[in-house]
Amino acid sequence: MLTETLLAWIVVGAPTVLLCVLGAWSLTGRRLSERFMARAVQAAIVAGLLASSAILTIMLVSDSRHIVIEVGHWVVVPDYHFSLRFMFDRLSVPFVILSYVLCGTIGSFGSRYLHRETGFNRFFVLYAVFLLGMVATSLAGTIETLFAGWELVGLSSALLVAFYHERPAPVRNGLRVWSVYRVSDAALLMAALMLHRMTGEGNFDALMGTGSWPFGEATITGGQALVVGLLLVVAAAGKSALVPFSGWLPRAMEGPTPSSAVFYGSLSVHLGAFLLLRVSPVLALSPLLCGVIVALGLTTAVLSAITERVQTDIKSALSYASLTQVGIIVAEIGLLPPLLGPWACYIPLVHILGHACLRTLQFLRAPTLLQDYRLLENAIGARLPRSNALLQLLIPRPIQIWFYRFAMERCYLDAWLDDFVVDPVLRLFQSLDGLERRWTTFLAGRPSHPREHVQPTATIFEER
Amino acid sequence: MSTTEAMTSRQSEKQRHDDRAGRLERLRHAIEHAGHLLPSQGPITVFVHHNTLHAFEDLPFDEAVKSGGKTFGCEPYLAEERYREALERGRIRAVDLEAVLRRDLSRRSDEPILSLGTRFDLRLAMLTHSIQSGPAAELRWFVAETDALERIRPDAPPAARERLLADARRWAQPDSIEARQGTQGRAEEDRLHKIMADALHHFGDPTKNDWSSRTWEKFMLQTLWRICREGTRNLKPVAASPPAITRHRDLLFQATACDIDLLVNDVLIRYCAAYLDQGFAHRLLPDRDRGFFQSFCTIHRQPFGSPERWQRGLEQELTRLQDGQIGPLACLAESLDRLGIREEKWDQYLSATLLSLRGWAGMIQQVESRSDRVVHAIRPGSLVEFLAIRLVLERFALQFVAREALGYTGPLADLPKAAKARIPHATPPVAEKRAFVVFQLAQLLGWTPSELHRLSKQEWSTLIEEIESFSNIDRRRILHGAYERRYFNQALDAVATHAKRSASRPEKPWFQAVFCIDDREESFRRHLEEASSDIETFAAAGFFNVPIYFKGAADAHYTPLCPVIIRPKHWVTEEVAHPHHEEHVRRTSLRRAIGTATHRIHVGSRTFTSGALLSAGVGLLASVPLISRILLPRLAARVRQSFSRFIEPPPLTQLRLERTEETAGPEGGHIGFSVEEMANAAEMLLRDIGLTSRYGRFVLIIGHGSSSLNNPHMSAYGCGACAGAYGGPNARAVSQMLNDPRVRTILAERGLPLPDDTLFVGGFHNTCKDSVTFYDVDRIPASIRADFDEVRKTIEETCDRNAHERCRRFESAPLSLSPAGARRHVEERSEDLAQPRPELGHVTNAVTIVGRRSRTRGLYLDRRAFLTCYDPTQDDADATILLRLLQAAIPVCAGIGLEYYFSHVDPQGYGCSTKLPQNVSALLGVMDGAASDLRTGLPWQMVEIHEPLRPLFVIETTPEVMLNVMERNASIGQLCHNEWILLATLSPDSSDLHLFRDGVFQPYTPETTELPSAKSSFDWYSGWRNNLDFAQIPA
Repeated sequence: MLTETLLAWIVVGAPTVLLCVLGAWSLTGRRLSERFMARAVQAAIVAGLLASSAILTIMLVSDSRHIVIEVGHWVVVPDYHFSLRFMFDRLSVPFVILSYVLCGTIGSFGSRYLHRETGFNRFFVLYAVFLLGMVATSLAGTIETLFAGWELVGLSSALLVAFYHERPAPVRNGLRVWSVYRVSDAALLMAALMLHRMTGEGNFDALMGTGSWPFGEATITGGQALVVGLLLVVAAAGKSALVPFSGWLPRAMEGPTPSSAVFYGSLSVHLGAFLLLRVSPVLALSPLLCGVIVALGLTTAVLSAITERVQTDIKSALSYASLTQVGIIVAEIGLLPPLLGPWACYIPLVHILGHACLRTLQFLRAPTLLQDYRLLENAIGARLPRSNALLQLLIPRPIQIWFYRFAMERCYLDAWLDDFVVDPVLRLFQSLDGLERRWTTFLAGRPSHPREHVQPTATIFEER
Repeated sequence: MSTTEAMTSRQSEKQRHDDRAGRLERLRHAIEHAGHLLPSQGPITVFVHHNTLHAFEDLPFDEAVKSGGKTFGCEPYLAEERYREALERGRIRAVDLEAVLRRDLSRRSDEPILSLGTRFDLRLAMLTHSIQSGPAAELRWFVAETDALERIRPDAPPAARERLLADARRWAQPDSIEARQGTQGRAEEDRLHKIMADALHHFGDPTKNDWSSRTWEKFMLQTLWRICREGTRNLKPVAASPPAITRHRDLLFQATACDIDLLVNDVLIRYCAAYLDQGFAHRLLPDRDRGFFQSFCTIHRQPFGSPERWQRGLEQELTRLQDGQIGPLACLAESLDRLGIREEKWDQYLSATLLSLRGWAGMIQQVESRSDRVVHAIRPGSLVEFLAIRLVLERFALQFVAREALGYTGPLADLPKAAKARIPHATPPVAEKRAFVVFQLAQLLGWTPSELHRLSKQEWSTLIEEIESFSNIDRRRILHGAYERRYFNQALDAVATHAKRSASRPEKPWFQAVFCIDDREESFRRHLEEASSDIETFAAAGFFNVPIYFKGAADAHYTPLCPVIIRPKHWVTEEVAHPHHEEHVRRTSLRRAIGTATHRIHVGSRTFTSGALLSAGVGLLASVPLISRILLPRLAARVRQSFSRFIEPPPLTQLRLERTEETAGPEGGHIGFSVEEMANAAEMLLRDIGLTSRYGRFVLIIGHGSSSLNNPHMSAYGCGACAGAYGGPNARAVSQMLNDPRVRTILAERGLPLPDDTLFVGGFHNTCKDSVTFYDVDRIPASIRADFDEVRKTIEETCDRNAHERCRRFESAPLSLSPAGARRHVEERSEDLAQPRPELGHVTNAVTIVGRRSRTRGLYLDRRAFLTCYDPTQDDADATILLRLLQAAIPVCAGIGLEYYFSHVDPQGYGCSTKLPQNVSALLGVMDGAASDLRTGLPWQMVEIHEPLRPLFVIETTPEVMLNVMERNASIGQLCHNEWILLATLSPDSSDLHLFRDGVFQPYTPETTELPSAKSSFDWYSGWRNNLDFAQIPA
C-alpha cells in the first residue's frame, strides 16, 4: 500500500513541482533556456507517466480498484468540509495516462516547434498549468479538487488561444472562450454547492456509495440527481463545446498548432465527457437526465457533422470532426449504461482514448495537408473524389441550399447566443450600472466619475 | 411636335443608356486599376518569389517604400533601434553613416543651423543617438521618474558635456548674475532671470557651499530643461496634414470604436474560401459555376437565414438584385451612389476597400487570371463580383453600426459628416515633446543654456522645423543606406581584389558539375572545388533551358517545370523500364488501393458514423505513429521508407524524351521533343554557361528541390526556376539529350563538338537533406563505372561538408557536429513534423554575380550569392546571351531578394508572420488561426536571420554593354534606374568595377585591397554562427 501511495504522490507531485519551478522562475523575470524548459517538462512527464503506469499495473495485478490519497482538508466545520484528495480508479488512471502520453508527445513537439519563438517561456509555463489541471481533474476525488483542476485547464486554454496577443483576433477569441468557460465554471460551482447541501461533503465516494467506478450506487434521490445532473450537463457542455456553446471551438484555433492539438483535438475538449463519466452513477438515477444528455450529445454530433462538411480549412474541419465524436461520446454516456449496465461506461471511455490519439495525430499533421493531398492524388492516379452522400440526391435543392448556408454559418449558434444571451445580459447590466450611477449621484449630490472613453488607436501609417 | 418630342425623349433615353454604359465601363476600369495593389501571390503550392511592392516599381525605391507603406500600412525599413544596434556592433560603421548622410544632403550639408552647428552635425547626432520621444504623458513620466534631469545622457560626447557644465558654472557666478540684472527690459531676459533665480533658490548659493559635480550637473540640466520648455511654448503646431480618410468604415471606427470590417470579413472570409476551394470541402458551393455574385445571392437569399441582426433585410436586398437582373457592376455603382462616393473618388475608395481583405481579394484575382494554375478555375469577373457583394454587406453593416452605436438613421451618404462630428478633436500637445527633443539634442551637441536662451521665438521655430524635417522615416532611410553601403562595399572590394588573382580554367578537368544559380548551391560548389582543383563547376537557371510539363512514373498529373513566366511547349514522362512493366502495374494498383483506403480513412475519420467506428475501434493505434514520428522522427522515416520500397515504382526508369508525332502534346506519340529541338536546347545551355571546350570525363547536371513536412510553404524552398518544384527531371532530360549521338552530330555541325568519351549525368540535389541522387546510372558503361564511383564518393563527401556549413546557422545544431553528424542532423530536420525550419531557404541571399566562375572561384561568399555563369568573351557584340540570361536572372534574383526584404522589415504586414498558428485554407493559402485574411509573403521562420538589403548585382561586362541591355529590356532598366537593385559591372579583362548610381556608371574605388585568407572554408566558418566576411580560400 505504501508503494501505491508513494507512486500516487509522484503522479500528482511531478506536474506540481514542474509548475512551481517554471512559474517561480518566470516570476523572477529571468529567462530559462529553451533546453532547460524542455528537459524539465520531459522529466516531469516521464516521472508522472512511469508512476501512473506502475499504478495501473499494480491495480491490474492485485485487482485493487481504488486508491485514494488524502492531501488534507482546506476547510473543516461541523457537517461540512472541503478536502483535497485524489482518487485512482478505473476511470482516472486511463485518463491520467492518456494525459501524460499526449502531453509528453506534444511537449516534445512544442519544444522544437516553438524554438526561438518569443513566447516560448510563456507557452511552457501555461503548458505546465494545463498539465497540472489535467492531472488534478482526472484524479480528483472531490468535486472541489475537480473544480480546481478544471479552472487551471480553462485558464491555460484561454491564455493559449490568446497566445499571439499582438494581434486582435486571438485576444478576441480567447476572451470568447474564456466567457463560455466562465458559464460552465459557474454551473460546476453551483453543482458543487448543491452536492454539499445534499451529502454534506463534495467527496465522490460519499456521493457514489461504496462501489468503485463504474459500479457505484449514488446516495441521492432521483430528483436531486436531476437538478445536480443538469448543472453538471451545463458545465460539461461549456467545456466540451456542446450545443449551444459549439461556436467557440473553431475560434480556439488561434494558438500555435501543438496547443490546438492537445486542447481541442484531444484532452480539454473531452473533459466535459469525463465529468459526466465521473458522475455516471448519478446519471443512472434519472432517466430524464439521461434523455437530456443523449439529446444534447446527438444534436451536437449531428450539427457539427453537417457543419464539418462545408469547412474549407483543415483546422476548422478537424475541430468540427472532433466535436462530432465528442457529441457521440456524450450521447453514449447517456444512453449505454442505463441500457446495458454500468460496465458499458467503458465504451465511451475507450472511445475517448481512441479519439484523442487519432485526432491529435491529425491536428499535428494539419499543416502538411497540401503534401498529403498530392501524395494521395499520385497514389490514386486522379484528383481526389468529393464524397457524394446519397442523401444529397434525395433532398430538394432549396433545402440543400438552406442547409449549406446553415452549415457555413456554423448553425447560427454564435449569433443566437449573442442575440438571446449576451445582449440581454449586457443590457441588463448596463441598466443596472445606470441605476447605480443615478443612485450614487443622488447620494453624493454630484455626478460620479464619467465612464472612461477609450479612443481606438488609429492604425494609420504614422510619420513620427 | 409629338414626333420631335418622342425623338428627343428616345434620344435622351439612348444618351442616358450610353451614359450608364460608359459609367459602368469606367467603373470596371477603376476596379482593374485598384486591383493592381493586391498581392500577386498565387496558390501556395506554386510559390513564386516576387517583389512585394511590384505595383510601385515605377517609383524610386525610397519613395516607393514610403508610399507603399502608406497604402498598405506597413513599415518601409527596419525599426530605428535595429539600425542603432547594428551601429553598436560595428555592422554599420561611422564612415558609412557619414558618407550616406553627406551624399543625401550634398550641398545642404554644411549650412549652419542658427549658430548651433551645421545641419550635418545635427542630423548625424539624430542618427547615431536614440532620441526619446512619445506621448506627453509618457515624457512627463520619463522626466519625473528617471534621472533625465539629474544626469547628462551617458552617450553625450565628453566635449559637449564639458561645454555645458562650464557654461552653467559661468552662469551662476555672482558677477554675471548681477551683470544680467543690469540689462533689464527684455522679456526673455526677465524670464531667464526668473528661471535662474528659481534654480539658485532651489539649489542654494553656489558660492557659499561647495557644489559637487553632480549638483552642477543637476543644476545645469534643470535650467536647460526649463529653457527648452520655455522656448518651445506656443510655437506653431506641426503642419502635418491629417491622413486622408477614404472609407466610411474608418470614420465610423474612430467615432464609435466599432469596426464594421469585423462583421463583413467574418462572412466574406468563409464565403471566399468556399468559392475558391480547390477540393477540400466535402460539399461544393451551390451555384459556384454561376460566379461569385449569383452564388452569394442564391445562398444568402434563402428565408429563415442568419439571425445576425446586422444582416436583417439582406435577404430582400439580394432577392431584389437577383430577380431584378441587376448585375454586379450595376449593383456596385448603386452601392457607391448610396454611399455618396463621387466618380473622381472611385479609385481611392475601391482600392481602400479591396485592401481591407487583400489576401482573399488578391487570390480571387490570381485564380481568375491564371486559370491554368488551378484545378478548379473560377469565372472571369470574379473580382468585380466580390467587390459588389462586399459593398452590399458594408452598406448593411454601416447602417447597423451607425444606428446602434451612433444613433444615426439617415442616408449613408451623409454618414461621414455625422461620424466626423462625433470624433473628438483633441490635438495632442506638442510643446513638451519638442522641448524634450531639444533638451536631448542640446546634451549631445553641447548647446548651452545661454546659447539656447538667446534664441528668439522665430529662431526657436526655425530650430524645431529643422529638427522635425528630419523625420523618423528619413532617419531610417539614411541608416538603411549606411547598412547597405557597408555590405555593398565589402562585396565590391572582395570581388575586385579577388578578380585580380587571375585564375584560369583547369587544362584537363576531372569532371564538371552544373548547378542551379541558387545561393544555396554556392557553398556546395565551393566545397566541391575545394576537393580538387581539377573539378569545375558551372551554373544555369535550374530548369536548364528545358521548360517541360513532367509526369513521373508514380505521378497522377503533369507538373510544369520552368519559371512561371514561361508556358512549356513540351511534355515529358518517366516510364518504368520494360522488363519491370508487370511489377510496375502490380505496384501501381497496390498504391491505388492503399491510397484509396487512406483517403477513405482521412475523410471518414471526420464524419459521423465512420468517424465513430474508427476512433472507438482503432483510434488507439494512432498513438503508434503519433509517438514514433514525434519522438523518433528519423527512425520513423526510415521505417516508412523501407516499407514504401515495396510500393514505389521499380527503380529502373527512363524518360520518354523523343516524340514520334509532328506536334508536341501530353499524350502518346506527342510526348517529347524532336531531335532538332533537343539540339537547340542543349546548345543554348552550353553556350549560356560558356562550357564549350575542355570537357571532363563526366559532366554532372544537377537540379535541386527541397523536402520537408508540416510546411505549407514548401514550394518556397524549391527551385525558383522550376516554380518551386523539383528540378531533377530537367537535369535528367538535358543530360540525356546531350548524350544522344544525333544531338552531338548536330552540335558538332554548329561548331560545338563534344568529345566521345564525355558522359553527361543528370542528378538531383535535395537542399534540405543534402543528398544527391543520380539518374540513369544503369546506362553508364561498365568500363567507366569505377571512375564514376570515384565521382560519386566526392559528391557524397561534399554533401556532408555542405550540411556542416549549413548547420552553423541552426541554433539547435551544436557547433561541435562532425560533417557526418551534420548530415544526420539535416536529414532529421527534413523528416520532422515538429520542425518549422527544415532549412533556411534563401535567407542569406544578398548579391548576384553574373560572370565566369574563374573570377570568383576561391572566394568565400558565405552562401549569400546567386552565381550565374556567363562568359563575356564568348558573347556576340549585341550581348545576346547576356540579355537572355539577365532577363531571367534579374527578375528572379531581385524578386527573391526584395520579397525577403519586405517580409523581414514588416513581418506582420508584408510577410505572413509566424507560421506556428497557420491553417491551410481552400488548398490555396494559409490563414492565421481559424479565420483570417489569407496571409501572403514569407513566414518569419524563413526570414528571421535575413539581412534586409536591396539585391546587389555584379555583372562581368562593360558599362556600355550593360546600358545597352538596360535599354533593350525596359523592366530591367526600370529596376536599375529606380535603384530597386544596385548594379555594378566587372570589367571582363581587368578587375575594374563600375557602379551604377544616379543613372550613370561611375568607376568604383575599392576601400581596401586586403582580403583575408583561410586554409579552407571549414577553417573560416567553423565556430561562427553569424554572417561572415569575405575571404580567399585555395580552390
